[in-house]
Amino acid sequence: MRLLLIEDDRETAGHVVHALQGQGHEVDTAHDGVDGLARARSGEYAALVVDRMLPGLDGLGLVKRLRSDGVRTPVLLLTTMSGLDDRVEGLEGGADDYLAKPFAVSELLARVNAITRRGALADSETTRLRIADLEMDLIRRTTSRGAKLVDLQPQEFRLLEFLLRNAGRVVTRTMLLENVWDLHFDPRTNIVETHVSRLRAKIDRGHAVELIHTVRGSGYILRAD
Amino acid sequence: MRTRIFHSEGFRLSAIFAGAFVLSMLAMGVVVLLQTGQALRDQIVQSSRSDIAAIQRGYASEGLHEAREVVEQLMGAPGGSDFFLLQKGVTRIAGNLPTMSPQAGIVHFPATANHGEILGAGAWIAPDVYALSGSSVDRVHETQSHILRILLWLFAGSLLLAVLGGILVSRSFLRRTDAMARACRAIMDGDLRARIPVRGTRDELDRLAGTINEMLDRIAALMENIGQVTNDIAHDLRTPVTHLRQRLERAKTECIDSADYEHALDAAIEKTDEILTLFAALLRIVQIEGGSRRAAFAPVELNPLLHHMRDLFAPVAEAASHHLRIDAESRAAIRGDRALLVQLFSNLIENAIIHTPQGTRIAIVLALSQDRVIVTISDDGPGVPPEEHNKLFQRLYRREASRAHPGHGLGLAMVSAIADLHGAQATIDSRHSGFAIHVSFPITS
Repeated sequence: MRLLLIEDDRETAGHVVHALQGQGHEVDTAHDGVDGLARARSGEYAALVVDRMLPGLDGLGLVKRLRSDGVRTPVLLLTTMSGLDDRVEGLEGGADDYLAKPFAVSELLARVNAITRRGALADSETTRLRIADLEMDLIRRTTSRGAKLVDLQPQEFRLLEFLLRNAGRVVTRTMLLENVWDLHFDPRTNIVETHVSRLRAKIDRGHAVELIHTVRGSGYILRAD
Repeated sequence: MRTRIFHSEGFRLSAIFAGAFVLSMLAMGVVVLLQTGQALRDQIVQSSRSDIAAIQRGYASEGLHEAREVVEQLMGAPGGSDFFLLQKGVTRIAGNLPTMSPQAGIVHFPATANHGEILGAGAWIAPDVYALSGSSVDRVHETQSHILRILLWLFAGSLLLAVLGGILVSRSFLRRTDAMARACRAIMDGDLRARIPVRGTRDELDRLAGTINEMLDRIAALMENIGQVTNDIAHDLRTPVTHLRQRLERAKTECIDSADYEHALDAAIEKTDEILTLFAALLRIVQIEGGSRRAAFAPVELNPLLHHMRDLFAPVAEAASHHLRIDAESRAAIRGDRALLVQLFSNLIENAIIHTPQGTRIAIVLALSQDRVIVTISDDGPGVPPEEHNKLFQRLYRREASRAHPGHGLGLAMVSAIADLHGAQATIDSRHSGFAIHVSFPITS
């Protein structure tokens, strides 16, 4: 994919470009908001990675300008680490996701993958999600694996739904914490591991093909191979 | 000082009052002069008429001779009319005016070489006998100018008083605003404890001074807080950064193969993450304590929120061989920030899971009192000695007993900051046999 990174700190920019190129992406870089906006307007990018603090025009202002110009390119906003309001402001301003600095490269890659494919799966209109013999009915709130119904608690249902919507892609612990449980801080207990292992017991136990896989150092992936 | 007085608010106000006073004095003076003039003229005419009546009575009783006697008597009387004339046909019988063509009713002669302006009354007391009595209008003018002089003195006196009063008022006003300016300048120069003097009169300047002082107290508290955080960061980041450096140094000398290096690098990255998390948590606490989040407050139903917490942590507690129970059936709404409240309760529940032995029972309880809603997170674990209770809320305080567990000693500091932001109190229950924290929120009506 062709991506645009707008980041004024050249060391961070180099680091991010290297990581994205390592995943086979083609990356352009802009070092200030004005140049970034001009390039982003061309609309040839699959996604934009935009730093919140930029010289010239700040990241949030840039996203707002793009959206008011009708440019729909997915945006991942990079924010400062303690920015309590950055998340809400960023999402309200038109960003598709945000990531607090400093971040692990695996986290960045997972987020970029998630926002670029978000459009492919028409979120609101989908009523059934399926992978291999696992199926979720979002209207009737039922889940089945093969011929058997699986009884899920509401939070387990949301967890599986999120994994299914991102099937084939790595989802990180932080993405799960934010999207499934609405937690925006780093918990000290192994919340994610515990819930995933309970879900696994209900979904995968007794089946020849395991669907939920752990990606060491990154997170989890729902995959049928 | 001299010119500043004239530019002061106090002086401006007294000048306005003095101006209004001068205008009303002028209006009053004009009315008084016109009214007294008219009254005096009426009085002259009145007294002339009674003179003529007396002359007529004399003539009626004993004829022209007696009328002449009456005129001469009246002319000699002090305080009476100035001018008289009694004439029969064209002959003057008595009086001090020359004969004239008779004129009945009110008479008014302009000034001549012999006398000034005369006002009076004339009448035929018999078919060919004419009497006239009158007084000089100068009397009226004299009285009027006398009144005018008194008014001018009063006017000058009160104008002087108004100006002096204005100066006094503005001087006291200036003294107080100067005191305010001095205090502000002292603060600008670095003395953050300087405050504006309050006189205790509870007037508007006092109230303003009080409000400014409260604002300064708040700013000072925030500054102190920031200073403390800077110290904390400097102090407490040193240790992990030193450890990190030691580990890297050791890896450089001791690692033999790439597996060793990878292990050392993983450990270093983990340590760095720990430092960054600590840093972020400290900054977050400061930001919460700043209070700006209050702007985004919305109603939050505590009952579903606590059940969400239970659903989130019950499996975690179970996996750690703890029991998590909830007793939160009452409905209660508060105004707050949902994400921060989730963090507050998470911190308390995680503390209970992390710092107690297996088999401990943890309870989330929601209770209502008259105007407060109290959420209690308690456990029946070993508890914390009461003398340590206060220290628990301090930033970066970690009990000896808990150093082996994950954490930075910021959990309860964060709880306290979030509770404060919501106008809530977080208190440790010292009577509870295990460990219990009550968070008491004001209820939204």
